[in-house]
Amino acid sequence: MALLQAETLVAASCPQQEVTGCFAADLMSDVLAFACPGSLLLTGLTTDQTIRTAAIKQLSAVFIIQGKQAGSDMVEAALEEQVPLFRTPLSKYEACGLLMQSGLPASGAGRAGEG
Amino acid sequence: MDTPSPSHYEFPILGRAYFLGGRAATSIKRVLAEAGVEPDLAQRVCVACYEAEMNVVLHARSGYLAVDIFPDRVEVTVQDRGPGIADVEQAMTPGWSSASEEARSLGFGAGMGLPNIREQADEMRLESAPGEGASLHLVFYREAGNGRQA
Repeated sequence: MALLQAETLVAASCPQQEVTGCFAADLMSDVLAFACPGSLLLTGLTTDQTIRTAAIKQLSAVFIIQGKQAGSDMVEAALEEQVPLFRTPLSKYEACGLLMQSGLPASGAGRAGEG
Repeated sequence: MDTPSPSHYEFPILGRAYFLGGRAATSIKRVLAEAGVEPDLAQRVCVACYEAEMNVVLHARSGYLAVDIFPDRVEVTVQDRGPGIADVEQAMTPGWSSASEEARSLGFGAGMGLPNIREQADEMRLESAPGEGASLHLVFYREAGNGRQA
């Protein structure tokens, strides 16, 4: 979290899911098609659809980029679906770069079409 | 002739009710888990259901999504009342979309829904004509040796 200067909006419930990689997208169809379970999601889409997509795909957590505000519907959905939700002031590019440098692989690394 | 489905679930879908979009799919996720459907298969079903549900929300007036859980497969049927699809083959093309700007603002409508569904399902049948809504039928085969009679 410190790496991304992230603020916690909805904390993780126990037991926490292992983080397996990272996926960055604003198109939920891309997340549904290509993200792998356990991945972090970096996104600028601040809707409850982001959370429902993350829940369906069993993602580890959602990070809102660019310091964007999460609507109440998004926060409520995150609480309901128990999806950890964070916000980082960093851009998607910066956040991806830092995570990659820290050793976190791309979601489904080795699969064609990963994000 | 198929044996009667041991588990049948139906979920209504309201067109343009964006705030409800995805709720059927997340309910199906719980239903499949409670029914003991294999996790990998359940996720494929849920991804397909989510895309199908959002298609109804984004394009149709109303519809429903039905899930039937058999020992050897899961079947999904989605029916909607909407404008229908003029060219099904074109609609299956990745990137092609007739979605509104409002739909795109939700992160959908990029033209990947139907291709995603086709990728997830073992069998897919889509029938539609202009003015007649759309009917989607999917089959997902379960693994042998899952403890249930195949």
